Amino acid sequence: MSDRGVQDLVIRALADAPFRDSAEWRGRDLADPDRVERFARFLARHFYFERIVHFFKYSRALARVTGRYPEAILRRPGFDALLPTAVLGGRETARAVAGLVVEYVRDAGRAVRYHIDLLRYQEAMMLVEAGPRAWTSSGTGAAPETVEGTLLLELDYDLPVVLPKLLQPWTLVPEAPRRAARLLVARSRHGRVAVARADEAVASVVQLADGTKTLDDLARAAGLRPAELAATLQDLTEIGAVRFSTGS
Amino acid sequence: MAPLMVGAFYNPHLGAELVRAEGIDHLAMADPPAPSDTHWPAIKQRYTLLLHDYLGQLSEPLDDRAIARARSLAALYDTPWVAEHFQCLHTEDGTYNLNYVFPPLYTEEFLARFVANATALQARLDQPLVMENIPGFFDVKASQMPEPVWLRRFFDATGAGFLLDLPHVWLEAHYRGVSPETWLAEFPLEHVVELHVAGVEEDADLHGPWIAPTEPSDAMLELLAHAAPRCPRARAVTFDAFSPSLTAEVLLASVARIRAAL
Repeated sequence: MSDRGVQDLVIRALADAPFRDSAEWRGRDLADPDRVERFARFLARHFYFERIVHFFKYSRALARVTGRYPEAILRRPGFDALLPTAVLGGRETARAVAGLVVEYVRDAGRAVRYHIDLLRYQEAMMLVEAGPRAWTSSGTGAAPETVEGTLLLELDYDLPVVLPKLLQPWTLVPEAPRRAARLLVARSRHGRVAVARADEAVASVVQLADGTKTLDDLARAAGLRPAELAATLQDLTEIGAVRFSTGS
Repeated sequence: MAPLMVGAFYNPHLGAELVRAEGIDHLAMADPPAPSDTHWPAIKQRYTLLLHDYLGQLSEPLDDRAIARARSLAALYDTPWVAEHFQCLHTEDGTYNLNYVFPPLYTEEFLARFVANATALQARLDQPLVMENIPGFFDVKASQMPEPVWLRRFFDATGAGFLLDLPHVWLEAHYRGVSPETWLAEFPLEHVVELHVAGVEEDADLHGPWIAPTEPSDAMLELLAHAAPRCPRARAVTFDAFSPSLTAEVLLASVARIRAAL
């Protein structure tokens, strides 16, 4: 095995708790297991601190009325209980950590009418950012496919109106208009999470693009003209919601 | 030796305080300014800015996109040098990423990789490259030489500058059970262009000290006073704290104490 391969094993051992506990890792005896475990736990807390502060920044802004900073969950028993199975960057771990945050701040924000929508939005951002990043798509091909992890959010409140206001100075909690909003949350192959309003065309394509339908099939199924489909696919590809399958 | 610049990291949540602060010569930039950062124009106008972003890990070649980003940020900041870390924090296929600085194995193979990729990066930059040492919390048995030997061979081969992070040296010395001055003497100090100073605190997971956004201790400042005269090419000392929890009081007091220690 190359030195680069050995380094990859060490990185995986630090990031992936079940691997760290495996005979495959332990048998290699590459480093002091107690030191590795301690550093892995330190890294896990740091990893999710960064993500909670970033993705739950609106809940942080509301903490002066809720009294609950989302990152506080990192020092609570629920997070410690996750550590033996945590995989940094994994979608299941992201779901579990985001769930701890939502549980911790939900009731304290009851006075904010759109609070449940806000939590769903932030949770979606954190989930979409997680998951494997190695893609094999060439970016061309005939069968578009919605990228795993891409989410469509149906909200009761028009959150994009209020989000920037929450991060500005305010005295009274800014209000969000009560009107339905549909948002698409996706991640580019470079890891950037993007949010866009989703109209009927976008929602249809995201729901129908399964990597097997040709462009003609997709246009028919979504009720779009070819030019409309092409424009929609271009937008969706740019934000990472759709990729083109290359076949096998 | 010219007088050392003394500065800190730009923490956007402290933008208002930094715009009007006294006694800070430069700011290191860990992230690009946010479009919503109303203090950025005044910060850019007032300070010497040092590019200290994550550009990539030099165990692999930086791709064109990463180099274009580095060049763009260097131009935006008009930085006198570009900093990166001796780190290898994600797997080659991108599946696992620690999202935290982590050193490479100190082997011949990794030395060749870092030399080749740093040389290629230097050729695409208009400013000198400086590289920062990264602490290991544990030794990996596959390493073939001590970190200071590996660093010296890297700097001799590339001509890059050394960004000497003193707390990283201090922590390694602590966990090795040797004095910081003894461990520091092993490093190639003649290549140092910039020094980092920071605070350390007990960490519950590590069961020992680690970097924290707090003031440097007296012991750390004594190490700075010991190191600075041994770094003849050094041009700047930076208080290395970048965190939403950092307060203006800690930042300003730390910079003042660093200046007093020199």
